[in-house]
Amino acid sequence: MADDRANAPLSTQVFHILLSLVDDDLHGYAIIQDVAERTEGEVRLTASTLYAAIKRLLETGWIEECRERPRVDDDARRRYYHLTALGRHAARAEALRLERLAAMARDKRLIPAARVAKPASS
Amino acid sequence: MRAQRAEDLLSATVRIYRALLILLLPTGFNDAFADDMLAVFVELDRETRSTRGNLAAILALCSEIPGLFRLAIRERRTRRTIRAHQATTHLEENMFDSLVQDLAFAFRSLRRAPGFAITAVLTLALGVGANTAIFSLVNGVLLSPLRLRQPEQMMALGEAPKGTKPNTLNTTSPGSLFDWQSRSKTMRIAGYSGVGGVLTGHGDPEQLLGTASVGGVMEVLGVQPLFGRLLTVADEDPASPRTIVLSFETWHRVFGDDRSVLGKTLNLNGTARTIVGVLQAGYTFPGGINEFWTPSAYDAAFRANRDQYFISVVGRLLPSSTLEQARAEMGTIAGQMSREFPLFNAGTRIVVEPLKETIVGGARRQLFVLMGAVAFVLLITCANLGNLLLARASGRRREIAVRQALGASRSRVARQLLTESVLLALIGGSAGLLVGKSFLKLMLAAQGTLNLPRAEEISLDSRVLAFTLLVSVVAGLFFGSIPAWQLAGGRSADALREGTRGSGGNHFARSALVVSELALAMVLLTGAGLLMRSFGLLRRVDPGVNPDHIVTFYVSVAGNPTFFSSTLERIRGLPGVQSVALASYLPISGRGGGAWFNRMDRPLPEGVRPTGAPYRVVTPEYFNTVGQRLKSGRFLQSSDRADAPAIVINEALAKRYYPDESPLGKQVYLGAPDNRVIDHATIVGVVADTRDAGPGSDPFPTAFIPFAAKPSWPSFYYVIRTTADPASIMAASREIIRAADPKIPVRRVQTLEEVVSAAVAPARWSTTLLGVFACVALVIAGLGVFGVLSFIVTQRTRELGIRIALGASSTSVQRLVVGRGMLLVSVGLVVGLIGAFALTRFMSTLLYGVTPTDPLTFAGVGGVLLAAAAVASYLPARRATRVDPIIALRAE
Repeated sequence: MADDRANAPLSTQVFHILLSLVDDDLHGYAIIQDVAERTEGEVRLTASTLYAAIKRLLETGWIEECRERPRVDDDARRRYYHLTALGRHAARAEALRLERLAAMARDKRLIPAARVAKPASS
Repeated sequence: MRAQRAEDLLSATVRIYRALLILLLPTGFNDAFADDMLAVFVELDRETRSTRGNLAAILALCSEIPGLFRLAIRERRTRRTIRAHQATTHLEENMFDSLVQDLAFAFRSLRRAPGFAITAVLTLALGVGANTAIFSLVNGVLLSPLRLRQPEQMMALGEAPKGTKPNTLNTTSPGSLFDWQSRSKTMRIAGYSGVGGVLTGHGDPEQLLGTASVGGVMEVLGVQPLFGRLLTVADEDPASPRTIVLSFETWHRVFGDDRSVLGKTLNLNGTARTIVGVLQAGYTFPGGINEFWTPSAYDAAFRANRDQYFISVVGRLLPSSTLEQARAEMGTIAGQMSREFPLFNAGTRIVVEPLKETIVGGARRQLFVLMGAVAFVLLITCANLGNLLLARASGRRREIAVRQALGASRSRVARQLLTESVLLALIGGSAGLLVGKSFLKLMLAAQGTLNLPRAEEISLDSRVLAFTLLVSVVAGLFFGSIPAWQLAGGRSADALREGTRGSGGNHFARSALVVSELALAMVLLTGAGLLMRSFGLLRRVDPGVNPDHIVTFYVSVAGNPTFFSSTLERIRGLPGVQSVALASYLPISGRGGGAWFNRMDRPLPEGVRPTGAPYRVVTPEYFNTVGQRLKSGRFLQSSDRADAPAIVINEALAKRYYPDESPLGKQVYLGAPDNRVIDHATIVGVVADTRDAGPGSDPFPTAFIPFAAKPSWPSFYYVIRTTADPASIMAASREIIRAADPKIPVRRVQTLEEVVSAAVAPARWSTTLLGVFACVALVIAGLGVFGVLSFIVTQRTRELGIRIALGASSTSVQRLVVGRGMLLVSVGLVVGLIGAFALTRFMSTLLYGVTPTDPLTFAGVGGVLLAAAAVASYLPARRATRVDPIIALRAE
């Protein structure tokens, strides 16, 4: 596993965390579940890697802690995280970078041209 | 309350994770995130456990660790940079940082060598696991004190006739008990006896087993009630109201924790008894099933009875007296009693032994042998771990040299290596705890048949945990220190030189370790081999009955003289029943009740105490039903009348009382002169012995009394030989008993096969355990041989290449490697043989039919070890022949 630096390109884990927060504010365990579900179990975050990333994301201001709780009946001790505009921008930049990379690979016929990435299911 | 519950629910993995968080991460980070991280981990842990089991949860914890270390290092580094601005450096902080670094590095390097890590952890887990399980057993049975008030004061007393072993503790009679009680000045003495009772009025009638107190035994024991009171001497007065004390479990089961039961009545054997107290949960004395306590209610005549021996006796030493004083005093009392009641007490000693000793004494040898065996397994494991670490160290010589060349101090390198082995030992130790837990569970599942005293008190406790951790950390430190010392002491320039592969120096260390592994395995295998031989012989002992297709059950009825004969007839009429009989006690399952056996043709002189023999009350078909053979005379017959009774004896009894003559036609009576079980009985037959004392012991001299002479006997085993399915016969028989009296429970349903197999259960148990340990030892030792030879082959690749290039045949190369393996085995074998000769004699009491130095076993075990070593040498040898000389020499 490569050491991830604070500047782009983003590590897979950080990118996945940001992706999870695009639609909804989530708490830590929900992020892990969401990532695991989306990647069909390929990326499994551990509590340690998750909070290592969360701390840095909080420091860079890409995510912030929600002041309002999304669900009233949930465990009061949980903290929810919200993707800031800055974070959304960073995630989008990373996605575009990945898309450009994929396009280049396609031009070189490394991957079949016909195969278009599935539209993101809502 | 809720917080307490939440704490209980935390699993071990969560607790470890929490400890790591607190330990590794700086306070600032913890304040902000630790709670959240823990919460997330708790949910991950719960999910993993429920979907993929406990092992997956441990793996999940392991996968957290590298991330945690990275996080810890980064956070601490950041904090140090900040602190550098404030120009303060804490030495402590630095040390801690380097420890975290060492740990993180150790984790990374173990991850890079998964084969090594897994082998090491697995062998360690097996060794530590077996130790944890057996230590828990030893702890629960032998080490922990009895759960009584000041248990060290508690003594067991008993009488022992002439010619018995020093620690014989026979039960005594009411008369003797009350005499001891009133005469002793060093102890408070009281007795108890087992009683049964049918509980009615709470659902189906139910047979309960309990204890009767004689002379206020509960006060002597110092039992604490959960609520209510205990039984006192006053309760034992036949004139006082009938009382009962329930065990916690009975109260919980029958009354559902209702505390208002005090003062209510309960119907036992048709007698209403007032519930006066309930005992605490976990109270176990006197062991086994004990569902209630009732006071004995002897009238004056029975209090003076001296020929009914059924009372077990305990005494509590007064604070001012010692065991020696108590023994001396009881010696004096025994002397007085043999003068006062020569008929009953002539030549009888009174034995005083610490109570715990009498409960666990018999299991001690068995447990110590097992403890020794697992200690050997652990030693082998540790030797193997050392071997693995050495092998790994020689592979890392270059890496270490580079680190030293770059300025790492010798102590820093040594510490790094030590950290690695301690980490390995800790992971192995934790996995071992898990293995131990499941192992203990397996062993206790077999407990129903194993007769281990205090089995209900065995559990994995904190002392065991501490023991395991200590063992694995010490093992890690010790075996880690060998390569650490070797490597850190090496001259780095040598190792850096091109083409040097490992050191020849640890060659010897590794061979020595393998030899010790083999020697230890040899000792263990010998122990297991002896037990297996002995068990095989035990199994081949003819039990004296033919247990095939026999089902038995037990029924106790009071005051219904026709119950047994009428139900017997109806069961006989069932389709599929070949024959059916009643017996007051089952064969193979122990001694059963006994009485004095008196020859009427040769009365004993005045003042000589007769000797006793067990007897069984049986119906005439009994012998044919269980398959007990006739030796001379005839079996009992239904024509035998109560007024002119016939009895049958076994060969052991014939040999003891009629050594030089035929017992047939002789008249005898059983019991005391004034209290005869059967009188003027004529011996009509001699039957073959059955192994009632267990297959390895001499049969008891036993008499068989016809049911016709004892029609009011209160309880019987039904013994049914069937040609049909035993289950359907049982169902039909239950129906017959229910039809005769719906209040009477059917108990102890078992086949005679089960009874016979239960008789060898303890032997089977220790044999299986030792066998498992020996197999583990053999596998680990084999791995050791394999490892060392592979290592040698790798190290000598160039030499082998040259040999092959110069025309050495593959056989000669193979012989070179296998020969090396055989050399190791031979040395190990010789050392092991000496060890086995020295140690197996401690097992002699566990053996039957084989001597501790049985040559056949020794030879067989040696053969097994040689074969295992040959297999272990074969693979490296084959690899040696495939060395390609060109590749091997290319480096030159």
